[in-house]
Amino acid sequence: MPKKILVIEDDKFLMKIINKKLSSENYDVIEALDGKQGLDIVKNQKIDLILLDLILPEMDGFEVLANLKSDPELSRIPVIVISNLGEASQIEKALKMGADDYLIKAHFTPAEIVERIEKILKK
Amino acid sequence: MFWKKKKQNNVNHNIGDLTITDYLIDGLLIFDRDNKVVLANPRVEKFFEVRQEDILDKSILHLTRFRSFKPLVTFLGGGIKECYRQDLEIRENFILQVTSVSVMSEGEKISTLVILHDVTRERLSDKMKSEFVTLAAHQLRTPTSAVKWSLQSLMSGDIGDLNTEQKKAIETAYITNDRVISLVRDLLDLAQIEEGKYISKTELTDMEEIIQSIIEENKNISDNRRLRVEFKRSQTPLPKLMLDKEKIKIAIGNIFDNALRYTLAGGKITIACFGSKKQVQVEIKDTGLGIPFNEQERVFTKFFRAENIRRMDTEGTGLGLYIAKNIIEAHEGRIWFDSEENKGTTFYFTIPVKEKFGQFLRGDFY
Repeated sequence: MPKKILVIEDDKFLMKIINKKLSSENYDVIEALDGKQGLDIVKNQKIDLILLDLILPEMDGFEVLANLKSDPELSRIPVIVISNLGEASQIEKALKMGADDYLIKAHFTPAEIVERIEKILKK
Repeated sequence: MFWKKKKQNNVNHNIGDLTITDYLIDGLLIFDRDNKVVLANPRVEKFFEVRQEDILDKSILHLTRFRSFKPLVTFLGGGIKECYRQDLEIRENFILQVTSVSVMSEGEKISTLVILHDVTRERLSDKMKSEFVTLAAHQLRTPTSAVKWSLQSLMSGDIGDLNTEQKKAIETAYITNDRVISLVRDLLDLAQIEEGKYISKTELTDMEEIIQSIIEENKNISDNRRLRVEFKRSQTPLPKLMLDKEKIKIAIGNIFDNALRYTLAGGKITIACFGSKKQVQVEIKDTGLGIPFNEQERVFTKFFRAENIRRMDTEGTGLGLYIAKNIIEAHEGRIWFDSEENKGTTFYFTIPVKEKFGQFLRGDFY
């Protein structure tokens, strides 16, 4: 069974690229274009890993993260934050809130993101 | 001295008593040898919303009776410490640059001048500028990410194969885009430095460990450019330092990156570490192009790039060493260099052994 990855990202173009890359690596990709939609999906189906953008409409990434981590069931799902916010304070905040990894979009390619996903899923 | 006359007549405000100090655009406070106020010019009255006659002959500690004086008195202390152009927030949206000078006579302090310069507008516009740079850089990141990601999917053949020529063109575009990305990163670092919130968390750190990791991370580059890198560790164990690890890594990385970039194949880079109980010194020596003598003065200024390297390499933002200097100075360290054109450059820096660091923005920063 392919692993299910939920991508919460509001930029449709970036979503398309990451979806293509992940699908080619045999992942089952589920798309959510805002935070609220993303949270609804996690609650209704089994997800293996979440790629989470931070600046999102409806509910921002930090809020999504807080919601996930306050639920004992959902808090087990690994979360990789992908964002263009690169300040140390933000990275620290996300990691403290329970994100497993933090990648600045401009500094990582989709291939490198796949590597990080593999590493975390192997654990 | 010109204020002595004033002191004798301090009660009367006749035109004849007005001295030069009344016309200064800076605030001027003068204390006598017992740290009592002997003069407060009209600017001081305005800055602190007091009347001169209410504070004359009062000792500095006495001034805390006026709320407006509290930050200044806390800053200078009862003994009135000396300082040079330090920013001090007197109240919200009011920042004075404070200079305090002791007047000495025959080895004895006879008086203290405190000069107060209003820099509120300048600091506000600096802040707005930094905020603008931060915002613009963040806005640039989203499109550059999109370009990076799409070029990468083209390059990796995820969306069909390319012929050699097409691949080459895409690679060039990818490298160019990566330059924009690193420029954006430098601009964000710069904006943070100028907002004075650069050093965030400090922890006890082993300097040699940091250097080792930088050398390893750059091994591909040094091997590709056929450069020998030697690390001379300290003969005696070094004390651990209170550092913002990430920032120090950026600082050393920037210096090391220049050595890698501007040393020709076959050259050598030597990094040495040594220290005492009080400080650790690091030297980064290359056998590279060197910095032309007539440009050496400007090495640490923003956007500086030497003539000889601009000709050879169009990359580089001219921000690396400026950022490095600011990071090292924020750790209360010093940085300097020796350089000779076509022979090489050695950068030196020291970091003191300390528990913690004071305010980041100090002295004549801008």
